[in-house]
Amino acid sequence: MGNINHVCFRNFDLDQPWTFEAYENMGGYKAWRKILRGELTREFVLEEMKASELRGRGGAGFPTGLKWSFLNPNAPGQKYVVCNSDEGEPGTCKDRDILRYNPHQVIEGMAIAGFVMGATVGYNYIRGEFYEPIERFEIALQEAKAAGLIGLELKDTKVAFDLHTHIGAGAYICGEETALLESLEGKKGYPRFKPPFPANFGLYGQPTTVNNTESFASVPIILEKGSKWFSEQGIPNNGGTKIFCVSGHVNKPGNYEVPLGMPFSELLELAGGVRDGNKLKAVIPGGSSAPILTADVMMKIDMDFDSLAKAGSMLGSGAVIVMDETTCMVKVLSRLAHFYDEESCGQCTPCREGTGWVSRIVHRILHGDGKPDDLDLLDNVAANMIGRTICVLADALAMPVQSFIRCFREEFEYFIEHGKSMVEGN
Amino acid sequence: MNKLIAKLKSFTLWELLIGMKLTGRYFFSKKMTIQFPEEKTPTSPRFRGLHALRRYPNGEERCIACKLCEAVCPALAITIEAQPRDDGSRRTTIYEIDLFKCIYCGFCEESCPVDSIVETTIKNYHFTKRGDNIMNKQELLAVGDKFEQRIAQEKADDAKFR
Amino acid sequence: MKIEIEIDGKKLQVEQNSMIIEAADNAGITVPRFCYHKKLSIAANCRMCLVDVEKSRKPLPACATPVTEGMVVRTRSKLALEAQKSVMEFLLVNHPLDCPICDQGGQCELQDIALGYGADASRYDQGKRSVADKNLGSLIATDMTRCIHCTRCVRFGTEIAGITEMGSIGRGESTEIGTYVEKSLSSEMSANIIDLCPVGALTNKPFRFRARAWEVLQARGVSAHDCVGSNLHIHHRRNKIMRVVPKENEAINETWISDRDRFSCEGLHSEDRVTTPMIKRHGQWEQVDWQTALHVAVEGLQTIAQTQSPSHIGALASSNATLEELYLLQKLMRGIGTNNVDHRVRQSDFHYQQATALMPTLPVAIADIEQQDLIIYIGGHPQFEQPLINHRIRKARDNGATVIMINPVDLKHNFDVSDKLIVANPLLPRALTAICRALSEQNPDAKTSAQELLQSVTADDKHQQLAKQLLAADNSLILLGAIAQHHQQGGLLHGLATLMASLGNSRVGLLTPGANATGAWFAGAIPHRGPAGLNVAKPGLDVKRMWESQLPAYLLLNLEPEHDCANSQRALKALHNADLVICVTPYKTAAMEQYADVILPMAPFTETSGTFINIEGKWQSFTAAVTAQGESRPAWKVLRVLGNLLELDGFNYVASTEITDELQALTANINSDQQINKWRYPSQLPAVNNGIERITYWPIYRSDNVVRRSVPLQNTPISDAPVIAMSQTLAEELTLKAGEDVVVSQVDTSITLPVKIDNRIAGNVVYIPAGFAETAALYESFGSVNIERK
Repeated sequence: MGNINHVCFRNFDLDQPWTFEAYENMGGYKAWRKILRGELTREFVLEEMKASELRGRGGAGFPTGLKWSFLNPNAPGQKYVVCNSDEGEPGTCKDRDILRYNPHQVIEGMAIAGFVMGATVGYNYIRGEFYEPIERFEIALQEAKAAGLIGLELKDTKVAFDLHTHIGAGAYICGEETALLESLEGKKGYPRFKPPFPANFGLYGQPTTVNNTESFASVPIILEKGSKWFSEQGIPNNGGTKIFCVSGHVNKPGNYEVPLGMPFSELLELAGGVRDGNKLKAVIPGGSSAPILTADVMMKIDMDFDSLAKAGSMLGSGAVIVMDETTCMVKVLSRLAHFYDEESCGQCTPCREGTGWVSRIVHRILHGDGKPDDLDLLDNVAANMIGRTICVLADALAMPVQSFIRCFREEFEYFIEHGKSMVEGN
Repeated sequence: MNKLIAKLKSFTLWELLIGMKLTGRYFFSKKMTIQFPEEKTPTSPRFRGLHALRRYPNGEERCIACKLCEAVCPALAITIEAQPRDDGSRRTTIYEIDLFKCIYCGFCEESCPVDSIVETTIKNYHFTKRGDNIMNKQELLAVGDKFEQRIAQEKADDAKFR
Repeated sequence: MKIEIEIDGKKLQVEQNSMIIEAADNAGITVPRFCYHKKLSIAANCRMCLVDVEKSRKPLPACATPVTEGMVVRTRSKLALEAQKSVMEFLLVNHPLDCPICDQGGQCELQDIALGYGADASRYDQGKRSVADKNLGSLIATDMTRCIHCTRCVRFGTEIAGITEMGSIGRGESTEIGTYVEKSLSSEMSANIIDLCPVGALTNKPFRFRARAWEVLQARGVSAHDCVGSNLHIHHRRNKIMRVVPKENEAINETWISDRDRFSCEGLHSEDRVTTPMIKRHGQWEQVDWQTALHVAVEGLQTIAQTQSPSHIGALASSNATLEELYLLQKLMRGIGTNNVDHRVRQSDFHYQQATALMPTLPVAIADIEQQDLIIYIGGHPQFEQPLINHRIRKARDNGATVIMINPVDLKHNFDVSDKLIVANPLLPRALTAICRALSEQNPDAKTSAQELLQSVTADDKHQQLAKQLLAADNSLILLGAIAQHHQQGGLLHGLATLMASLGNSRVGLLTPGANATGAWFAGAIPHRGPAGLNVAKPGLDVKRMWESQLPAYLLLNLEPEHDCANSQRALKALHNADLVICVTPYKTAAMEQYADVILPMAPFTETSGTFINIEGKWQSFTAAVTAQGESRPAWKVLRVLGNLLELDGFNYVASTEITDELQALTANINSDQQINKWRYPSQLPAVNNGIERITYWPIYRSDNVVRRSVPLQNTPISDAPVIAMSQTLAEELTLKAGEDVVVSQVDTSITLPVKIDNRIAGNVVYIPAGFAETAALYESFGSVNIERK
């Protein structure tokens, strides 16, 4: 991996990389100090961000620079920057390691974002189960405050940015940005209807920008090494490196920060190949809510936003779930459906009722009680869930359901007919 | 000539004989008269006769006071009053059918969601005094209790044709 | 600003910033919906109103999508219908198929919309969810399994009722709607969630299982319990009133009614109802026919009028009586030859009665209350006196108005009070005078005849600050509540409020008790003025003096003096000593059986035609929903026949509308001069007693004879019990503990009441509710009391 320039994981070879000293020795807070000294203008930073082709790392892949430009820094009133570290997508574990090993880079990224958008207060909403990352981030935040870098009244500068940690309480839906804002306000984590978008009506009704941890962590390095350097790490329109959380049936599962556009086959090789020399069967390339792709499609694909979208799936949060030939797809879908059934917030009818219905149909197929019409019913129920709700949680179940049936229809039909799995050992 | 034939016919009581021919035919044919009440005419299993309120096998009355029969009755023969029973369930306090008003259309039976009100095949009943024509809840339940087996059988027989 | 959009091929001019569903509703295009309600915030969670909007890939919720110029919407295109039908199917996945036992059957939004958008057979064949029912108290029955989570009830609680009592708990399919803390709802408008609930999850508890929507007939009615005059739909079947629901009237009650208006009908069929005329012969009650009863009454009245004087007869009416009844009552009394007629039974002070305007009204329309910049509310609890006026005040507060409370008790309101001045009850006049002084100092241009009075007090910072706020507001309103009106200095308080208004460029409104106090003033049911403000040569006795004079004959209309009067013991004494007491009443009470001689059964408001004039001066006529029970008769007919039997002129009415027309013609006599208050202020404030003073209030569900008999209302958490409430300081001074029974005595009577500690009460003042048999034995409602340990 020597030839890869890391962004978020650039300090992993250091001893105790999470400390303030380690980060500063590496060149951290350079960009922020320049801003504090008044050497960088908002316009310059924003242009750099746009030129870097950094796309949101949380799942949707929206260009970060463009998102930042929606907020008018000179408009009166409080504005907020919120970091979404409520990493709940099954298969994803990148933000955890960023917070664990490189918390200062997130802090610096958020501070820079606050400067660009004129937001003086930021919140980092961290998933409640992340005991160690919360602790590390909190210590890092205290260090940064002690160093006079974060705060509302900083010495010798007009720039101000204060940052708070908020700990989530274990709801997947709070990873959706508007539900996260509701939760942050102390309400029940129900996604809000959009429009208005958070850029107009966000936290406490004020303009707000919500970005992923990885997006924020990429910001300091863009200013440090230049947007050109960053965008060249990836491919056109997909700038920079991306952390892929490779899990499942590989020999070396883990977080791999690689350039965007790397062929899947290479990534698989990095992760040590499929376990026990088994044949690859299928891959979910972007977290559990991304449609599944079969082995032959995957082996030809490059890991970037555009290529995966073209193939009918998405890069999502970069959680690559690898499945070998021993995997029973009915079982996998049943597990997924159960997850979304549990995590639906219950606000919109199609999601509240649909996730439960889908989960029960798949459950019944898995228990040998499937009916011949069940696959069509499942496909139709899933179709009825897509695009009918406030947030995309319903789509996040419906799309995998449809892709599973499309890619592995025989396997489901076999299960319904015979009451047992087509795959041996299941 | 015609007058002669007419005279002859009247003299021989010809017309009477023609009439007697019909009498004779029926005199020797199979008799249709039945000796009621010892004998009874056959009845269709779908005959709509006296009403009954049924119970579940555990003795609980079926009627849930939904009042659909009251609403559907074209003759306005049904009167229902309802209120919560002590256990909180929805029950009738008054269920009356005026058999003078009833036109035996069977809509009440059709509309009943719980197969409570039924029209049995019983057709032989009478009233001895004014007011008896109004069947109250107890009377209707009593009919149901008495003929439950028969009602259930008829319902089961008819089920496959519905 | 208007913009043009197109819905289903119709070109429409619609308000900018409105939502598609509003535009469609206004154009008469039906979009199915569950969570959307025009009076509540937008939730967009039921997804039933998904429509097809051109240029949008996905169907959009009509309730939450704002219109834009040139927008093309199709509510019944393939995309829209598919979306609506799929949502309907999802809704029915967990909805039980128990329509036959569901009270909502036949009036259910889900049933109706399922008929249009549901499939004929369900594709869902697995187990359904069941949810434990919640106990919401005596008014609302729950079947939470039927809930479709539209959250209308939750939003009603936070946005309209102002108390967050309900919420959604759990997530996904386990979402449940319920109270956060297991308890009954305590809002005075809580039962509106019955109407809001689109399914049968929340239903009317007293009405439970008793009738079907298709069986009941609907009559229009007007609420007889407060001066708002909420419009009602009275549902009746077989000549019996089954329930009451609101009738929408944007200008008065919007789409709401208070629980009192909705459930008072449960008191109509109380055991106390009298349905045959009764007379007392040799101390025994006898049921007689009308002729006999009327004969006894007329003979009694004639005897007293002839042997003594007509001015020895007094007539008292409830302010819930209709305009026609009150008019005939005063006509009868003035026909006999006396002006002794009054309806102000809860008032204690009549000194300034000549100074007041023709009739008490609000200077603004009810709907305009919410447009005020500043509202000063003096003495009372709007939430429990006129819930719908309180709702308007709350809306004004939400719109950014300043709401200031001047009260002897620091009552809890369902909105944030901007500022408040809590003074001990006897000091209320002094506080108002001080504010007036501050106003005259800050606004020297304003002239007043009360300079001497103003000089007798000093204004502190608080008074100055309130005066400043009043002067700063362009659109302000001063409202007087029940405590201010019933106060021992009630007349003066009214005068001081008027002075405040004239010095502070504001206006005064009275929130009168009962449904028709305004009508009573107009009809002339007052001793000092005839109908429409006609001058009378010699004013008759007011309520207070009628009781104090111990007249030999009383005629009571729709009144229970022991519960309804300010000085109930004085009233009882007078009635017991009278030779003749004629009660025209729908109900009898134990006390009434003691003092009355003739009981003439009258029809309550649902069984008579009549008119109420509400506090904004609006005449609202109604007809009888059902015929009067038994032998009881509408009171206007009873009074007409009494008039005929007394051989008085002008009592030959055939219909109540003839009386209404006669009154309507009188409105021409009113001149603008009569609309103005003319006060002559004293030079000094009256001296204040130093002892313990009593404040009396009528709890919301003890306010009149019908409400008092509604059992479900009596079982709510906001229905009070007879207690004596006082501050901790006073209790310590008297060495009393909470819950302890104490002897409360006034003049020559005493009663025993438990002590309740309530630190919101200022000064040496105790707070005792009226309307209870227990407290009827007390004298003056505002006056000194003695408290001793038992």
